[in-house]
Amino acid sequence: MKLRFWGVRGSFAMSGREFLRYGGNTTCVELLTDAGERLLIDLGTGATELGKTLMSREFSKGAGNLPILLSHTHLDHIQGLPFFTPFFIRGNTIRIIGANPSVGSTLEATLQNQLAPHYSPLNGLENLAAGVSIETVAAGSTFEVPGFMVTTAAVPHGSMWSTGYRITADGKTIAYLSDVEYPNIDDPLPVAVNLARDVDLLIHDAMHADEDYELRRGWGHSPARAGVVVAERAGAKKLALFHHSPDATDDMIDEVVSRTAARTAVPVFAAAEGSYVDI
Amino acid sequence: MQITFWGVRGSYPVPGAATVRYGGQTSCVEVRSASGECLIVDAGTGMRALGNKLLREATAPQNHHVLLSHVHWDHIQGLPFFSPAYIAGTKISIYALLTAADELQQVIGGITRQEFFPMSLEAVPATFDFHEVAPGVGIDIGPFQVMPIALNHPFGSVGYRIDCDGSSWAYVSDTAPFDRVLHKQHFLPGPEELSEDDKTSLGDMRDALIRGLKGVDTVIYDTHFLPEEYERFPHYGHSTPDQALDVCEAAHCRRLVLYHHAPSHTDDQMDKVAADYLELGAKRGIEVLTSFEGMTLPIGPAPAEAS
Repeated sequence: MKLRFWGVRGSFAMSGREFLRYGGNTTCVELLTDAGERLLIDLGTGATELGKTLMSREFSKGAGNLPILLSHTHLDHIQGLPFFTPFFIRGNTIRIIGANPSVGSTLEATLQNQLAPHYSPLNGLENLAAGVSIETVAAGSTFEVPGFMVTTAAVPHGSMWSTGYRITADGKTIAYLSDVEYPNIDDPLPVAVNLARDVDLLIHDAMHADEDYELRRGWGHSPARAGVVVAERAGAKKLALFHHSPDATDDMIDEVVSRTAARTAVPVFAAAEGSYVDI
Repeated sequence: MQITFWGVRGSYPVPGAATVRYGGQTSCVEVRSASGECLIVDAGTGMRALGNKLLREATAPQNHHVLLSHVHWDHIQGLPFFSPAYIAGTKISIYALLTAADELQQVIGGITRQEFFPMSLEAVPATFDFHEVAPGVGIDIGPFQVMPIALNHPFGSVGYRIDCDGSSWAYVSDTAPFDRVLHKQHFLPGPEELSEDDKTSLGDMRDALIRGLKGVDTVIYDTHFLPEEYERFPHYGHSTPDQALDVCEAAHCRRLVLYHHAPSHTDDQMDKVAADYLELGAKRGIEVLTSFEGMTLPIGPAPAEAS
């Protein structure tokens, strides 16, 4: 299995010179099996660039199949949806899979609202030319999409819950825990540790530098050290710091990585836009 | 009066090496009167950096006035990230056209529904008030005289002519040209055949825009598309620099500023657009500038000439 980061930024897309190495696009991750099956996680602005790349493949001919997992529906995880080109080609089959938001509305109603006529000229999911299905999954469930086994867990994210994913393909496993804040940040919930048990790669929310966390407690995000504890307890083989703060410049992220790496034996790196990881 | 561009991109923010010079953030312009009073036009992602600057400069909570052209995401997405909103005592007045909804507060507040954003507009410390605007009905905001002008965009948008300190500029974004497609209150999968009434509506809209822009010093215009791109997407609700030049020429405007750049346009492409249209504009007696993030433009004659 191969993984590529298309968007690693949290909350807000950042343009400019200080964000070029790690990238300014909001969250989107692509997984590819050795046989070429594809799965996406989240549709932040990183998805717009990926969408263009996919158009050089079967998606331009209306023959693409794509499952997409959503961690939740905060804007930075769905803002690429209206600009993801494969949606505009008739014949493509795209499955959007996620939990109903733990607050507010259903997943389908939320995405419809995103495309409501005052907000978007698309005026509703039904105007996307591709075949689009919205599929809800329950927390703790396990299901299969072609090439991948997926297990979900609900994790606390401020005033709501987001969905964490454990994904296995080609005998390798990753866990995606973006947008999470444990009630005691230094004692992660067992549900998260279990989801990440023995994974080859853990992708974890690292929105805050450790020293900034106190000021932002309760905002729904983790300091870099939270991912370390999850990785160590779960026996994860590698840790990717993810969902970087919009205020974190490339140099600041370098600093967080070196300080985080110094405190653990688990290999740590910061997710960078455009980079591939061989799992 | 002077204006500063905080976001010049259309549709969605575009980070990366290809947009470093012109900028990747979406629509937001800061207007300052000679006496220092501030008006904000559009609340795209550029509004985050503007808010941080305003907060650094402020010694006490401020009253902010925000004119919205319409409420598509790229024009309102910055609002929840506008840091002065998180300071108690701040007052934010929002002026917008009501389209496809019952009330402004519900639409604008709706972007902070808890499924979308962790803190709702009702819960932030600042107080908000909402003012519906109507094309042709002028409003005074401090020293600024503001005139909304109807534009041709899916579900409607408005441009604004703003007069202050003896000079004027206009914000004309987002709009399609006024010949091939009439945008109404429904989804357009492609151009529709125009009825005679549609053609009359388009002509009337163009006439009203040109009347509204008459003699304006500087016009900021939605020039999302290059001509060859427009041919493929005439129903998307955006214009080309050539169409903007036609309008500015008819309205006798001194200067045109290209704005709302397509997300796909790289800095190198924008350099070519800027050079090409500077030359084309000069032939028609119009100075054409291409906006970039951080650009500040004085409006009207320089103070020395004015005195």
